[in-house]
Amino acid sequence: MNSAALASQLLIGLSRGMLYFVVAAGLTLVFGVLRVINFAHGSLYMLGAFFSFTFATVLAQGQAGFWLALLLAPLAVALISLLIERGLLRFIYQREHLMQMLLTYSLVLIFGDLVKLIWGSQYQSLSLPGILSGSFTLGGVAIPWYNLFLLVMGPLVALGLWLFLDRTRLGKICRATATDREMVDILGVNSTWVFAAVFALGGWLAGLGGALMAPVVNISLGMDANIIIYAFLIVVVGGLGNIWGALISSLIIGVGEAMGALFMPDWAIVLPYVITGILLILRPSGLLKSVW
Amino acid sequence: MSTLGLQKSKPGAERMFSASRVILLVLLIIAIVLPPFLSPYYLYLLTTIMMTALLAASLNFVLGYGGLLQLHHAVFFGVGAYTVALVLTKTSWPFWTAVIAAPIVAGFFALLIGWFCVRLRGLYFGMLTLALGQLVWAVVYKWRSLTGGDDGIHAIPVPDYLASPTSVYYVNLAVLVISLIILYVIVKSPFGLTLVATRDNPVRSQSVGVNIRRHQLAAFVLAGFFAGVSGVLFVLIEQSVSPSLLYWSKSAEILIMCLLGGMAVFMGPTLGAAVLVILSMVVGTYIDYWLLVLGLVLLLLVLFLPQGVLGFLQEKLSGRKTGEGGERDAAS
Amino acid sequence: MLQVEGLAKSFGGFKAVAEARLHVPKGQVAAVIGPNGAGKSTLFNLITGHLKPDAGRIVFKGKDITALAPHQVSRLGVSRSFQLLNVFPRLTVFENVQVAVLARLRQSGKMFTPARKLVVTETTEVLDKLGLTAYADRLCTSLSYGDQKVVEIAISLGSSPELLLLDEPTAGMSPEETRTIVQLIKNLSGSEGLTILLTEHDMDLVFDVAQRIMVLHQGMTIAEGRPEDVKKDKAVQNAYLGETG
Repeated sequence: MNSAALASQLLIGLSRGMLYFVVAAGLTLVFGVLRVINFAHGSLYMLGAFFSFTFATVLAQGQAGFWLALLLAPLAVALISLLIERGLLRFIYQREHLMQMLLTYSLVLIFGDLVKLIWGSQYQSLSLPGILSGSFTLGGVAIPWYNLFLLVMGPLVALGLWLFLDRTRLGKICRATATDREMVDILGVNSTWVFAAVFALGGWLAGLGGALMAPVVNISLGMDANIIIYAFLIVVVGGLGNIWGALISSLIIGVGEAMGALFMPDWAIVLPYVITGILLILRPSGLLKSVW
Repeated sequence: MSTLGLQKSKPGAERMFSASRVILLVLLIIAIVLPPFLSPYYLYLLTTIMMTALLAASLNFVLGYGGLLQLHHAVFFGVGAYTVALVLTKTSWPFWTAVIAAPIVAGFFALLIGWFCVRLRGLYFGMLTLALGQLVWAVVYKWRSLTGGDDGIHAIPVPDYLASPTSVYYVNLAVLVISLIILYVIVKSPFGLTLVATRDNPVRSQSVGVNIRRHQLAAFVLAGFFAGVSGVLFVLIEQSVSPSLLYWSKSAEILIMCLLGGMAVFMGPTLGAAVLVILSMVVGTYIDYWLLVLGLVLLLLVLFLPQGVLGFLQEKLSGRKTGEGGERDAAS
Repeated sequence: MLQVEGLAKSFGGFKAVAEARLHVPKGQVAAVIGPNGAGKSTLFNLITGHLKPDAGRIVFKGKDITALAPHQVSRLGVSRSFQLLNVFPRLTVFENVQVAVLARLRQSGKMFTPARKLVVTETTEVLDKLGLTAYADRLCTSLSYGDQKVVEIAISLGSSPELLLLDEPTAGMSPEETRTIVQLIKNLSGSEGLTILLTEHDMDLVFDVAQRIMVLHQGMTIAEGRPEDVKKDKAVQNAYLGETG
């Protein structure tokens, strides 16, 4: 095992972690503000990937298609999220967690079959634009440019979220709502539009995650079930509702997975669960406080 | 959630209660005399329903009565099934050891997972059950040399006297009835009453001297045990196991059964299991998009019938409007 | 019977309780008073083990109970009622009390005896004592607010405590309901010989029932003693009685 292989695997793990973060940030944001565990978050991610495939192939040929899709697919998913929130979710905010969870789970089933209906059950794939394809070598090990691109995108999203939460009025309301729902009602903020906006933003992040993932995986049915469990683990380990906790745990799980692939390839799939289990046993309520 | 029918309160409820006993008895008699009149397909359908009903009832013990967000109950079902499969294919131990070992191993897994989970409340509890459950799934999925990986284990040998669909049917019926009676007795016992109390008001239960963690853990293990029993029945019916038995979407299915029938009524999950199994087999044979149908059913249930079919009937018959019980657990 | 020394608890920088001390002699009714936010509920939560103190000691019957969990404190004979309604809403009145009796007699874990046959005498006794017998089979939530507060106390009595903690027992009650509670407290302390520690807003009530008063202000005990002494205390008058009359 040479250090170059280790370094490149670390880089791959970090970039994968960044991707997880983009998805998990949406889930945790929605939980923090709406107090709803959104099982359908994985479905929104899957929709992001499929939309990005369709947009990229239908709207434009070649290079432009990818970038156009990266812009449009998350927006389309955000729009769908908005419809979900206004049409369904807002009626059950007063209900038990279990009911809310089951409602979002019903959407998992529905979206799963709708995707099958629209795109069929065969794999789709999307190719990278020239500028991002290929790889460079680092100490004799090839590292794909796209991983580097993800390594830039992740922090950009994190920065954007930080600016949003810290600098905008809506962001501040989000933070206040996550900390104390009643206080916000007292302040006279109409929380329903805050909920709608946050759910749409959460959907946008899921869609962005899907669109970013699209070029490097088989776009297929079932990608929702895999990512949602990972996103849950990340969100719980980070501290429910805490975006920065999600960032840390995304990176831990991404890197852990990559290291697992290097050192014990047969057991790589088990590793994220083991890491989560251990972290939760050590810190039952997450790495960071559950509201921030 | 409405009341659990624990109360000996309203005369109306009491009348209905004894009426429901009569209905159950009639159903049982029908179930006993029915097999000779059934085609193998319907026999298989009914047997599957009974196996699934036990699984749903065991989940509801912790979910409905204990108020614990058990999001990954299928793990114990799968562990029970795999235990039978492994004992019968990898050892030369007699059949009955496999049957006895399975629920115990499932209960042991429940003890292990529950040990960590009962420290947490509400959603954190649920998320940890999910994480640890998926861990078990991942191990089963990857440990190819032992579990056969994603292929699972097939052609599991069962004794000759259990080979015919009719005998499997009767075994399922007997096990289901006995297990439900045991669960019912426990629900009505001090243990069950205290379990409901810890669900309704954990803080208060603690301050009257209930060790809620231990109580919840005991309930968790019991539920795991009966899920393991259901796993044994599964192997008798299918003679094969695969990792999908332990995947989280299987757990979601069981949750839906509980919700469909009504978590506040003892027989609710059993009814829910029956409806869902029939739906999946019937609808599944006619259209490709069974999950779409299931999703829509679930959506409508959550929005319009959160107390479930039996819960709804009970409310109507007893003329009691109980309404929904608000938040069970705080989020953090 | 109960001795609290130098108790302190902060929540992220906010000192809810700092330097609280308290002495409750056996058989007496003691009261903790103080303005809103003085730390009364926190003090109760510390005594019953629902919160862990940052510093200080709680001694009950000569035994240090500072680090015990709520159910352990309860089993030693300390029982409490809560400020907000804290009953088991979906159980009947009978079952509400029965849960406590079962826990006290260590029968909560029994699985194969029907609950309705167990500890009926003990439970009925408590219901009789508080005049709840007529409501025994009703769901707790179907009772009036005042009656539910009585159920709340009945649950506490189900634990057969030696020390009963009542957190604002008359909060939100009508004058008539309040009189019932006052009579109840007097009965429990008189004929039953129960030691009671309560918090209360209603000063008339406190000076009516309490033999010992502790004044809590910004988390600190500023006075403790017999009612007449406390009434005269300068610090108390400045901090509390002066403001509210």
